[in-house]
Amino acid sequence: MRFNYTAISLALVATLSACGGSGSDDTSTPTTPTTPTTGFSFVATEMITNLTDDVIVAGYADLAAKGDALLLATQTLLTSTVQADLVAAQNAWKSARQPWEQGESHIFGPVDSLSIDPHLDSWPLNTTDLQTQLANSNGFDADTIKGWNDDVQGFHTMEYLLFGDGVNSNTKLIADLSTKEREYLIALAEVFRDYTAQLDDAWQVSHNPQDANAKPYAELLKTPGDATNTIYSSQLAVIEELINGMIGIVDEVGNGKIADPFGESLTTADTSKVESQYSWNSLTDFSNNIIGVRNVYQGEFTGGADKQGLIDFVTAADATLATRVASEIDDAILKIQAISGSTSMPFRQAILDADGRARTQVAVDALTKLQATLQSDVLPLLSDWNS
Amino acid sequence: MNKLLRQPYWFVALLGLSLSACGGSGDDEISPDPIDPVVTYPSYTSIVALGGDTTTFDASNSGHGFSTPSLNLTADELALHLQGDTNFEVSFTTAPNDQHPELDGLGPVFNNADCNSCHQRDGRNSTPFLAADETRVKLGSAAGIFLRISKAPAEPCSVGTADNNYCAPIKVPDFGDQLFHRGVLKARPDWQDNAFVGQADVYLSYERHDEVYADGRTISLKKPIFAVENPYDAPGETKQSANVTSNLLQDDVLMGWRNGMPVFGLGLLEAIPEASILANVDADDSNKDDISGRANWVFDAIKAQNGDSTPVSLGRFGWKANTPSVRVQSLGALRGDIGITNPLFPDESIVGTSLHDSYLTRTGFVDTGEDVNGAPEASAEFSDSVVFYAETLAVPARRNVDKTAVREGARLFEQLNCSSCHTPSFVTKTSGDIGGLPMSDSLKGQTIYPFSDLLLHDMGEGLADGRPDFLADGNEWRTRPLWGIGLTQTVNPQAGFLHDGRAATLEEAILWHDGESKTSKQDFMALTQAERDQVIAFLQSL
Repeated sequence: MRFNYTAISLALVATLSACGGSGSDDTSTPTTPTTPTTGFSFVATEMITNLTDDVIVAGYADLAAKGDALLLATQTLLTSTVQADLVAAQNAWKSARQPWEQGESHIFGPVDSLSIDPHLDSWPLNTTDLQTQLANSNGFDADTIKGWNDDVQGFHTMEYLLFGDGVNSNTKLIADLSTKEREYLIALAEVFRDYTAQLDDAWQVSHNPQDANAKPYAELLKTPGDATNTIYSSQLAVIEELINGMIGIVDEVGNGKIADPFGESLTTADTSKVESQYSWNSLTDFSNNIIGVRNVYQGEFTGGADKQGLIDFVTAADATLATRVASEIDDAILKIQAISGSTSMPFRQAILDADGRARTQVAVDALTKLQATLQSDVLPLLSDWNS
Repeated sequence: MNKLLRQPYWFVALLGLSLSACGGSGDDEISPDPIDPVVTYPSYTSIVALGGDTTTFDASNSGHGFSTPSLNLTADELALHLQGDTNFEVSFTTAPNDQHPELDGLGPVFNNADCNSCHQRDGRNSTPFLAADETRVKLGSAAGIFLRISKAPAEPCSVGTADNNYCAPIKVPDFGDQLFHRGVLKARPDWQDNAFVGQADVYLSYERHDEVYADGRTISLKKPIFAVENPYDAPGETKQSANVTSNLLQDDVLMGWRNGMPVFGLGLLEAIPEASILANVDADDSNKDDISGRANWVFDAIKAQNGDSTPVSLGRFGWKANTPSVRVQSLGALRGDIGITNPLFPDESIVGTSLHDSYLTRTGFVDTGEDVNGAPEASAEFSDSVVFYAETLAVPARRNVDKTAVREGARLFEQLNCSSCHTPSFVTKTSGDIGGLPMSDSLKGQTIYPFSDLLLHDMGEGLADGRPDFLADGNEWRTRPLWGIGLTQTVNPQAGFLHDGRAATLEEAILWHDGESKTSKQDFMALTQAERDQVIAFLQSL
């Protein structure tokens, strides 16, 4: 996990380290903690419930539904000669990509513990092994593919088969889709459908597939501090998880997904590092990542009715800051989308173009600014909150 | 542990002054009720900063608790740490990778393709689960658990020498000392029928038994059982085959599960003075408390590389304290678990086996490192950053130390004698090297609370794997540090406890304690439900 220092951390350690390590015996009667007299108040229950149900769970339910749709769309391709069927499958892939990328703003819990993230979204793709398997296998089935390495399954393997290599175009002809590619694609989509259903179940039915009595992960998030909840000990823990989740994806988009292929200069730009390069969906991915941040911050999907989100927590502490964060999130999304310029240039081409690189740098700066605000201004609010 | 039950009031008053300066619990804390008896709590009851100045606070409640850099790093050190962070998540690829040769060299056989998969979010790996219709599960890419393997020695090895390879486990011929269940596509000669399979298929299942408290409460405990099949040297063969020919399936091959461990705070553990650890050794139980504590003395690859004539050091890391330093542990895992050779371990762990030889022949000798001369696959820069990352991940601060249940749990933890092995605190050394290199100032002179003596203890037959590892016998395990343990399942909800993840809860982990810790376990079982909950509350606060 990639994290940076925060000013508050340094201040806190200076204070608290003075309290630790004395080695003295502690002789006293048990006490209850005193109530802080400073800071701000906010009742977080509604916000946590809403974010869990209407943003996170709703997002994974949407992903599972789109996993079903993607499987159906690929099955149509088995014997089709109609280009529209391939386009429909391509669109089904892009459609499934949306809730997944937006969900990366809260990539904790079952998506990680059940290894669903690497199964679905390993990058880079192993095209060498993929081609070898296409050449040597006689038929493909989902159970077999589940046992293969993650770099020959998931989103990007399907993307490669659906869109081609993406070097000069992202418009593959159905006539170029071989029988083995179709069979592999359908098996991959079945594996994908199974994992998205498993993720949905983990949040809504049981977070531990082996324990029928285990609670849904959503329940654990909504009941922190419950005696049986070994995951979250307090509402503060949940909010800390959510804020750090936002920081994590802003960092990953700015300092990883964009910065790595962007390089220090035109000569060090590396298009081979561009995620979703076959479909030319990269900029949509990146902006969806930050739209996911906005979903968590605002408490609703774009265009939805207003509900409590982290913005309400921040507003309780500092209304000006709350507005500034919202503005910086919106700005980052717009700057990412603007990388394509007036010619709808895909990201892999933009980083090789002088004007495109300038626009990319503007987006990176916006992400850097947002990350700094979340780390230095929002995260420290936790220590001021009278939870 | 009631010898400090009565303390003079001046001491209580001084303690109160100290605590109130920290914004603690105020007058209520320092004025014992004149009617209620004064209760004595262990000195660590209120400690928050378990890692001294390295402790992190702004992520210590959530799933990010193991993933932040130590707070006292310099700017240059932080940059190196963050580079290591990135490299920790790098997923290696099959050789050759023409676009990114710095990433190739995976395997050819391995357990995972990146560090993060066995140390999810820098914590423990997920415990494999069986679907409702399964009786066993085949280990694949989601498994962070693997088997260590070795041949049974003719007799116990007690003194390490060059002749006996310093009591190192005896490798299984043509396999080695770790079983790699995964492989690159063409790892095996029969790859077209066994794509992406490594040295053998490994299956895991569970057997269960119950532990019953005096009050009737019953806890079901599960123990992982392994089955190894389809070894590359005898495809399709199993232990039940009529004529077992595989080297791996012979009766004298010992096997034991190993889980990934949390990565944070490791530099601090290495910075504990050797003398401080050895001071707790009581190999012959001279104090007759039924708890021994033995040091493991293990082969040190750094000393060997530097030409030391006796390349042996105190073992501190690994489930049996079988590695001496973060550097040896990390780079050993890089080469072993992922199959990425590096400057400390330049040879593949399966070098010289028929599997490696045939792989090289089959693939045109491409698995030879980052250049045609076979330089190590991971550079010195890559390796150094990963080691430094593991050395300098912060220890998460404690939570809820003011809660009555937590404080009572600390008292009971002491009363149950848990602290005899889970030694609460040490002070790290103020100068010197770790892993053969100068130690970061961030690690020096810190009062730390790992709750481990880093020594070996007989934990009984139930936990035993029967497999010696240097001086550790088949029943012995190193005391697991408890710092951060309360965040284990916040970091990874599917994580289990103990060396093979068999314990789904801290309570189950306690109930597996036996051998030297049998009395502590029995005393725990004799507590009331409320008291047992308090012990768990204390552990959850760590």
